[in-house]
Amino acid sequence: MFGALREKLQAARTRLSGSIQAAEEQAESPVPQGTTAKEVPLPDVPQEPVSPGTKPTFVEKVKVLIRDRELIVSEKDVADALDELEMTLLESDVALPATDAIISHVRKGLVGKHRKIGESVDHLVVSALKAALLDVLGNGFDLTTYIRDHPKPVKILFTGVNGTGKTTTVAKIGSFLKKQGLTVVIGAGDTYRAGAIEQISVHAERIGIKVIQHQEGADPSAVLFDTVQYANSHKIDVVLADTAGRFHNKANLMSQLEKIKRVMKPDLVVYVDEAIAGNDAVTRAFEFDKTIGADAVVLTKADMDSRGGAAISIAHTIGKPLMFLGVGQSYDDIIPFEPAKVVDELLDGGS
Amino acid sequence: MAETMQPIDQRELMTLQHYLKEYGQQAEIFVSQLELLENGRLEAHAAIEALEAMLAADDGTVLLQIGGGASVRAKVLEPEKVLLAIGAEVVVERTNKDAIEFLKERIIEMEASQKKVAETLDRLRSQMNEINKRIESGYQQAMAEQDAE
Repeated sequence: MFGALREKLQAARTRLSGSIQAAEEQAESPVPQGTTAKEVPLPDVPQEPVSPGTKPTFVEKVKVLIRDRELIVSEKDVADALDELEMTLLESDVALPATDAIISHVRKGLVGKHRKIGESVDHLVVSALKAALLDVLGNGFDLTTYIRDHPKPVKILFTGVNGTGKTTTVAKIGSFLKKQGLTVVIGAGDTYRAGAIEQISVHAERIGIKVIQHQEGADPSAVLFDTVQYANSHKIDVVLADTAGRFHNKANLMSQLEKIKRVMKPDLVVYVDEAIAGNDAVTRAFEFDKTIGADAVVLTKADMDSRGGAAISIAHTIGKPLMFLGVGQSYDDIIPFEPAKVVDELLDGGS
Repeated sequence: MAETMQPIDQRELMTLQHYLKEYGQQAEIFVSQLELLENGRLEAHAAIEALEAMLAADDGTVLLQIGGGASVRAKVLEPEKVLLAIGAEVVVERTNKDAIEFLKERIIEMEASQKKVAETLDRLRSQMNEINKRIESGYQQAMAEQDAE
């Protein structure tokens, strides 16, 4: 998963470390140039922290020089490496606003930073990169905790465009929640696509979950209303509502979705798209959120996406957390999106 | 495998038919993804050829296809500079050489993705074959039972 992005980020990490190390070597040379730190042991001077992200003043540089023989990383030291990182992110289909946020966070994390000579440059760079990526990725979304903390049944409505794996995702999440000890009912709200009701019924049977269905062409609002009624009367924990795929610019289909929302009053609206769609997925999620609303996102086919652009940018761009990643064909191939784990895998190569 | 199978009932046959249909739909999606990747790969190769030819052309004159089989001679003002969509809807200016490098990297990425999609497709097809065998054996059993009656 996200193999190409991992390689590129690790190359960027090496490049950034190299740039800072080069600055350090210059600082240790007899002729001071730019950001220099001369090794002159001097008596104690009262400590005044340099605010991170701001350009260090001459006085600050001198104080640090005297106090700790530290190196202050300057804008110049990392400018080229940051430009390269920016290109790397854009080439990986990370949306422009997310790229800008990452670059500015890394810049803030490095420029003006006091790095004591002897402290690992790589550690400094990795910390800055990790913090930047975590900032952009947000906190993720723990569905199990959300369900446990809310009145039952928790009603979850799944939306998205055609052919992204919405129905399969509903089944996978149903299986995931069942394994967490929760009771689930699925509403076959895709009454439009031929075979969709059969598809969800077969899935539901396989994973042992009740499915509420009407005939093909029936009003999806009615199906999902019945599903909620069933959940209420049978004390079911979660309602998973499948819907037909649609594009945000189809007014009639979007108004149908609005009606579904009015009728079933979902606690969560989850937008489903495929990771391999890259920036298109981000744009579509943004439009869906604007039109119908979205509380969380699921990205399918993440196992086939080497760039990782959509996964990195979607939470930052639409301001809604990424909840799950679909990573294969079987029911267990869905993983809760944990930002810290993803960042570790990207920067430490899964170690 | 078919020889050692348990007897099949009608309900199971129907479920297997559903699986087959679903796998068939999934396979179609993967096939269209493979086509998209192949088109992208061929396009990138064509772009590399065009960029190399532009540099090779003495006075920067190239044959520009305008559709419908028609072409015009066109002079490229700056064959050394290329505007390149690098991703995330961002276009940057690159040198001809860098653009070729970028496109070559993209081709490698697309080939890796093609390999992955093809592997998944193969897995799906082998599952479909298994289901097909099971359905066929079920039908044969049903026919044999009918004949016996």
